[in-house]
Amino acid sequence: MTAQKHVLDYSYYPGCSLHASAKEYDESTQGLFKALHIGLTEVPDWLCCGATPAHNVDELLSLSLCAKNLELAKGVEGDLAVACAACFSRLKTTQHKLEIDPEKRRQVEFAIDAPFADGKKVKHLLEILARDFGLERLAEAVKKPLSDLKVACYYGCLLTRPPEVPELDCIEAPTIMEKVIEAAGAQTVSWSHRLECCGANFTLSRPGVVLKLSADILASARDAGADCIMVACPLCHGNLDIRQQEIEEATGEHFGLPVFYMTQLLALAVGVRESKLGLDSMIVNPLPLLKKKGLV
Amino acid sequence: MKNTKMTLSARTMNLDFVRKVEKLSGTSVRRCFQCGKCSAGCPMRSFMEHPPNRVVRLLQLGQYERVLAGRSIWYCASCETCSTRCPNKVDLAAIMDALRKCSWDARGPSKESFVQLANRIFIENVRTYGRQYEMRLAAVFNVKSGQFLKDIMLGPSLLAKGKLKMFHQKNRNIHEIEKIFSRIEELRRKGGAL
Repeated sequence: MTAQKHVLDYSYYPGCSLHASAKEYDESTQGLFKALHIGLTEVPDWLCCGATPAHNVDELLSLSLCAKNLELAKGVEGDLAVACAACFSRLKTTQHKLEIDPEKRRQVEFAIDAPFADGKKVKHLLEILARDFGLERLAEAVKKPLSDLKVACYYGCLLTRPPEVPELDCIEAPTIMEKVIEAAGAQTVSWSHRLECCGANFTLSRPGVVLKLSADILASARDAGADCIMVACPLCHGNLDIRQQEIEEATGEHFGLPVFYMTQLLALAVGVRESKLGLDSMIVNPLPLLKKKGLV
Repeated sequence: MKNTKMTLSARTMNLDFVRKVEKLSGTSVRRCFQCGKCSAGCPMRSFMEHPPNRVVRLLQLGQYERVLAGRSIWYCASCETCSTRCPNKVDLAAIMDALRKCSWDARGPSKESFVQLANRIFIENVRTYGRQYEMRLAAVFNVKSGQFLKDIMLGPSLLAKGKLKMFHQKNRNIHEIEKIFSRIEELRRKGGAL
């Protein structure tokens, strides 16, 4: 597909997980954006943003890794599209901190041996779909409405935080995920744990934390009558999907909730082929639900 | 708290440490008026011996050694709910980062070693590969933490689903990444960075 055919063009920072444990997020993002004629050009040689471990113990390292990525992204045209909520939060935080703190900026510029490349707009995929592309156009592109599918939209922690960089949506009561998936015809449920932490990277060091916090989230979604959960973060997905069976065994409760990336559901709605959605990578099998709703 | 008796004096207030944390975090420790809203919303409070507002109170009272020796700072998930809801704009998540850095740099006496180990391997992986190598992260963590069988039951299904990559390509610009790490070390040696 040539660039002229694209209605919008972005540089793309997938983040580490999208090349491994969250490959279905990458796959469905590429499929969805292609179907919507939105161009994505991956930033060459991008590196890890440092995620939580880097800023936890070494802020300068965290800021420098993100600044290096922003410098690499400068070479690719278009605003920077980011899929992972944690990468998104780190990149935005770096821009904010280096803007307001000349001393930190000086140290980071020394570390990356380059002037800080500011000015690139960092956007989460949700923002691109809801605002740049637009909800109306998205609704028009829907070929297979997700009507009858009750979705619990799970934001997790980092899509709307930190509070100084609140550009995605309202910090405490965001609605952007609901709006996007409702544009695809789905129903959304009202539930209590939309913004509660899933246990994040304790999945490696202290999985007991994840079992407790993610169990509460799954129970809340189930009790609200949801058929499935929709996420926009690979770590949230890992905790709710990969550990779901373990959580069921630990709590003795049954959830059976497929956990979709938002791009998987949207791609399904706009008619991307089922084999391009990465549905077979999900641990909780989504096919019985999708068959029941007549979507596959 | 086990030991509730403390003696306060100008000497025990350890204002230098408070100033260091404030410089590192870019926020005020002293501005906290102990409303407790941070602890009310903290998803991790049940895993902490000192809930977030008490961490700040202990700092205000100069009792930072008790904070650094404990688990609370390592059981913070960096979800930033506290910073989002603080009515007095204390960025508690940044204070937690600063405290962890102090403990990390001092190779401090914290009781929580698994979280620190996971962080260390994660950062090592970035330095060695440029991008995160999830398979190695989990494997090295299991070996070094002595939990050889941890999550072993997840392995086969993750492999079958293609979610675990056995081999990982290093970034082409790995030399530039190494330079970032070494320049930061150089800056610290010269005392030019926190």
